[in-house]
Amino acid sequence: MMDALEPIVTDEILEDCLQAVQRSADQGRAATAADVTAFAHIPAPTAEAALRELRARGLLESGSDGLALSDEGRRQAAAVIRRHRLSERLLTDVLGLPWDRVHDEAMRLEHSLTPEAEARLTSLLNNPDTCPHGSPIPGSDGIEAQPTRSLDTIPAGAQVRIEQVTEEEAALLRYLASLGLLPKARLMVEEVAPFGGPLLVRVGGARYAIGRDVAAKILVRGDAEPEPRRRRQRRHGR
Amino acid sequence: MALSCHGALKELRADVKLSVALAGNPNVGKSSIFNRLTGLGVATANYPGKTVEVQLAVTRFGNQRIGVIDLPGTYALGGVSEDQWVARQALLDGAPDAVILVLDATNLARNLYLGLQVLDLGIPLVVALNVVDQAEARGIRIDAERLAEILGSPVIPTVATRGSGLDTVMAEVVRRTSHPTPLRVRLRYSEDVEAVIGKLERALTARRDRPHGLPPRAVAILLLEGDPEFTAWLADAPDADDLRRLREDLTETLRDLRGEDPALLLTRERHGLAGIIASEVEYRRRRRILLADRLWQFTTAPATGLPLLALALAGIFAFLFVVGDWLSVGFGALWTAYASPAIRWPFVTVLGDNALSRALLWGFDAGINAALAIGIPYVLTFYFLLALLEDTGYMNAVAFLTDRVMHKMGLHGRAVIPLVAAAGCNVPAILGTRVLGTMRERIIASTLIVLTPCSARTAVILGAVSATAGWPWALAVYGVTALVALGTGIGLDRFLPGSGTGLVMEMFPFRRPMLLPMVKRTWTHFREFVVVAAPIVVGGSIVLGGLYETGLLWALAAPLRPIMEGWLGIPAVAGLTLIVAVLRKELALQLLVTLAIAQYGPQASNLLSFMQPNQIVVYAIVNTLYVPCVATLSILARELGWRRASLISTFTVVLALLVGGAARGILSLYH
Repeated sequence: MMDALEPIVTDEILEDCLQAVQRSADQGRAATAADVTAFAHIPAPTAEAALRELRARGLLESGSDGLALSDEGRRQAAAVIRRHRLSERLLTDVLGLPWDRVHDEAMRLEHSLTPEAEARLTSLLNNPDTCPHGSPIPGSDGIEAQPTRSLDTIPAGAQVRIEQVTEEEAALLRYLASLGLLPKARLMVEEVAPFGGPLLVRVGGARYAIGRDVAAKILVRGDAEPEPRRRRQRRHGR
Repeated sequence: MALSCHGALKELRADVKLSVALAGNPNVGKSSIFNRLTGLGVATANYPGKTVEVQLAVTRFGNQRIGVIDLPGTYALGGVSEDQWVARQALLDGAPDAVILVLDATNLARNLYLGLQVLDLGIPLVVALNVVDQAEARGIRIDAERLAEILGSPVIPTVATRGSGLDTVMAEVVRRTSHPTPLRVRLRYSEDVEAVIGKLERALTARRDRPHGLPPRAVAILLLEGDPEFTAWLADAPDADDLRRLREDLTETLRDLRGEDPALLLTRERHGLAGIIASEVEYRRRRRILLADRLWQFTTAPATGLPLLALALAGIFAFLFVVGDWLSVGFGALWTAYASPAIRWPFVTVLGDNALSRALLWGFDAGINAALAIGIPYVLTFYFLLALLEDTGYMNAVAFLTDRVMHKMGLHGRAVIPLVAAAGCNVPAILGTRVLGTMRERIIASTLIVLTPCSARTAVILGAVSATAGWPWALAVYGVTALVALGTGIGLDRFLPGSGTGLVMEMFPFRRPMLLPMVKRTWTHFREFVVVAAPIVVGGSIVLGGLYETGLLWALAAPLRPIMEGWLGIPAVAGLTLIVAVLRKELALQLLVTLAIAQYGPQASNLLSFMQPNQIVVYAIVNTLYVPCVATLSILARELGWRRASLISTFTVVLALLVGGAARGILSLYH
């Protein structure tokens, strides 16, 4: 009875699945099971079993329109992506492979790097910021790949996550925090007043107007913000 | 007069056996509840140097007298903004037996944050779950019983604007405080955080000298948050070396726990807990967006917001001018017909018709008339409009839209309303700058207000310039004034130390304004204006009346001659009227005619018989820009202090002379 057999799900497959979901999110859309199958080169039943397992471990949540990672899932995915992109750098910069061929090699290498090897590799490569395809390498602390931007550069309609409030503004940080505008909080930019006026953001059930000067001190990362240039480069990276 | 907050709170505690504080986020209906609970006998108290007020009143419930402390509406208790600081300090100084926490049922999670802080202080809560009707309309239902269970405090659904549920709230306050039970609620932050708090809490239990008699847990949390007051207490506390070391160690432990500042960590924990509680008790049937909410979005959308704002400002302007002017004329007629003869009669009968009685009448007749003639039409009207704008939430849309322009002058969007009001009367406008957060902003805004032509100065511009030189010149006077004000604003922003605070402001959904609270607030402000301005206007009028009636006024004309005739190129007698107009700016024109007739004879009733049109333009510019009238000056001094008030006044005199002189030079090229 073939149906009753559970497909074998290895740690490698789980890591690939995490990576697949995160990469879709980086491109501004929620992943589907088909994305996972295609990225990890695995049959659909295996992918389904892997996603079930990720859910059981609390790494995956069902978003409204597809798959979405939990905070922990995102952290782990970032770690895999970091190892993947560092491996790509190793392959191009040290071993001299052409950059359009390193992705598949890196798909194998990324699973076998120990933390120690990763650290050595980082210093050997001089702590690179991007992979050979120009995509940013997440930090070793597992923070997602996208670089931070100040809130005042975010267009209306975007969803972002607060990363940091400029350090020298301790009082501002605490005031914003009391309103729920604190690091890791998700916010939605609803409106941007023209001619350098303030932004209107929604956090939970509340709406706030934030002047541009204040917004410039709030560093955010896109939660799901498409950026055409980077998207094309990533496609090369596959 | 505003009382000192510390003293007023102490008095209240001595006066009543039971007191309760009202706490809540801004615009959750807290003031509606306060108004419903109390009558007109409300005292306002300030902490020195702070503009945010605390209101105190005594109310009766059953046979109990209960003191009510209305804390400023805040999102949190703390030291980072003035409202937060005042709320926290008044709560600690007032030591109420319970806190009525007003929660907005439409935005529970953010509102609960403040409640958790109050519970952290160990003060019993009675929760008024307000605007349940609006929450219901938006498809949100809140399980009040479950919330009560979680918070360990009674939760009563209320609709404050209708007064429903408030009796139950007060009954709970009395019940809870007459049989005080120790707080049973143990809302828990994360285990590792609680472990750290617990260690410090146990170490503090032995100390009897805890500030404000707070429970050990409260002091432990405040110390870990790095609260300056409590940190200072610990630094000076005797025999506390171990405690100080423990606190330092635990702060470090807390920092290592999540790798962030302990104060931020606790803030995050509280937000997290508030979110969890909210999700436990909140049921959203379906996401329903009200028509009112959707329409309200037009007020901030760029395409529709600015035209709507222009319309609203024009409306305020027109209302102030039309209704204000109508009231002013009507009031003046009534005064002349009834009040004036009644006041005149005793003075003239007792003292006879002489310089003394006439000087006194300058004060008691014309002076009181002046104070009320500004107060009733403009101050009353303005405050009513202001209350309307604030209670609907439109004020915040205005601030959102105008933030950019205001920012150039070191202000932010909230400053636009007082500036508009200044065109009616400077006095309520200066009082209106209380909506601004910092003294720097209030100084800039007040200076700009003083430079804004109020209705009295408009009367001079229209009556003198427009009538003689033509309306384009009147418009030019306004143009010059606007440019001067803009330049002053930009200059002040550069010159004053510090920088603008920037806008961080909640945007409220549309709320239907309730008449009664608006009327009450309007009355409170009007009373304040009359109390402050009337004595000064009356006193000043008597002094000026004395100078005029005795003829000493003419003696002032000679020293003015070089400035008036030499620099500004206007007759010294006109300069004299500029000084007299300190009393009321429109007096300048009336007195100019009166004095001119005294000096030149009857034909001087036509200004053109002794002044050129360009002299009249210079005269109007100087009258518009120099020193505010005494009423404005006294409010300025009260709000900003005498030193700043006199600096601003001196600045305006210099400015008026410079601009007047420049105008003379430019105009002489044309005439």
